[in-house]
Amino acid sequence: MAAAGMKKKTFLAPLGKDNPVFVQILGICSTLAVTNKLENTMVMVLGVMFTLALSSWTLSLVRKWIPSRIRMMVETMVIATYVIIVDISLKAFYPEMWKQLGPYVGLIITNCIVMGRVEAFALQNKPTLSLIDGLASGIGYGYVLLIIAFFRELLGTGSLWGFQILGSWWTNWSIMVMPPGGFFMLAIFIWIAHEGFIKKNKEETHV
Amino acid sequence: MKTQSFYMRRIHPLVFMAIVTIICILLTASLHLSTFDRVKNNEQFFLRRSILDAAAVPHDGQPETVARLYQESVTEKDGVYQVKGTDGTMRHVTQFTGPGLWGPITIMVGFKNDQKTLAGVSIVSQNETPGLGARIEEPWFTSQFVDKQGPFRLVEEGTADSPEEMDAITGATRTSESFKNIMNRAITQSTTKSGGQ
Repeated sequence: MAAAGMKKKTFLAPLGKDNPVFVQILGICSTLAVTNKLENTMVMVLGVMFTLALSSWTLSLVRKWIPSRIRMMVETMVIATYVIIVDISLKAFYPEMWKQLGPYVGLIITNCIVMGRVEAFALQNKPTLSLIDGLASGIGYGYVLLIIAFFRELLGTGSLWGFQILGSWWTNWSIMVMPPGGFFMLAIFIWIAHEGFIKKNKEETHV
Repeated sequence: MKTQSFYMRRIHPLVFMAIVTIICILLTASLHLSTFDRVKNNEQFFLRRSILDAAAVPHDGQPETVARLYQESVTEKDGVYQVKGTDGTMRHVTQFTGPGLWGPITIMVGFKNDQKTLAGVSIVSQNETPGLGARIEEPWFTSQFVDKQGPFRLVEEGTADSPEEMDAITGATRTSESFKNIMNRAITQSTTKSGGQ
């Protein structure tokens, strides 16, 4: 019962009150960089979820044998391996997508969420729990990115997933698909999230 | 006791790291080798497709069709691809690269037999802003050069009507500017070459 409760708690935390993007403010670089097209965002999200879940699981599996002074090197090595697997698989099986994403896939290695979850969670917890935590963090990261990408692509180009949605009456807000648009959307998202459901938690902890 | 702790402190981390490294390299290397041919085929397909596009040879985008058409109609000589068009005339396709906003833009430019009139333009690789500069990949943009001779000057998006005008992309001035420069360089090079012959 306790184990099941723990699993549920581990799964739900990154979706809301411990969300990696709008609470922990991690992984911001990729949030800003890839969210101007829904399609690219989706591939990035899947890549991060895959890397996050499996590197958490792998490192949790060997956590008792990793000498603590070289643990960061081992973490980086394992994370990099999974990222390269994603990169090569895309290159071989989805080359059009790989061409579009270019260097972003490789940059998953530097996504702070991956290293952060490994350091903060996987090295202290059992493999299954770490896998759940990694997956949930990936989902928590993913849905924020997809929401931001939805608005940026729709407002910036009048289309979604490459299909034209808004008619010719729509004037594209070019700034939305450029870097400043990412900052604006992310800030608005964090603001809404904090004004909405995060605030309640804060009040609870103050009391 | 002391020697053991020396081992645990100094040697064990090295051994552990070495083992992890070997496992990781074995994994990635075997994946790389097992997909090597596929990746190579993909690259070749992209290159051949852009050559056919620049020569305005119609195809359905399937790898088999592109490979077959390439075999039938393309010969390469000194970096210039001689493509036999569907109407029997020769098209000359050359690759050009220039600086874009974020990274180099590489395109294929195809000329008709007179070395002056454009047969088509296609994008080999680009890294421009998605939704803005990356729209140079869209057909309305690349097809605007067909049957024109240039050299070009930029006009507002959707207003190009005379032969030396080209549509810029709204919101991507720098990309449009460098694309124009690459095009004009290609045109100059082709006309001087044909003039010298």
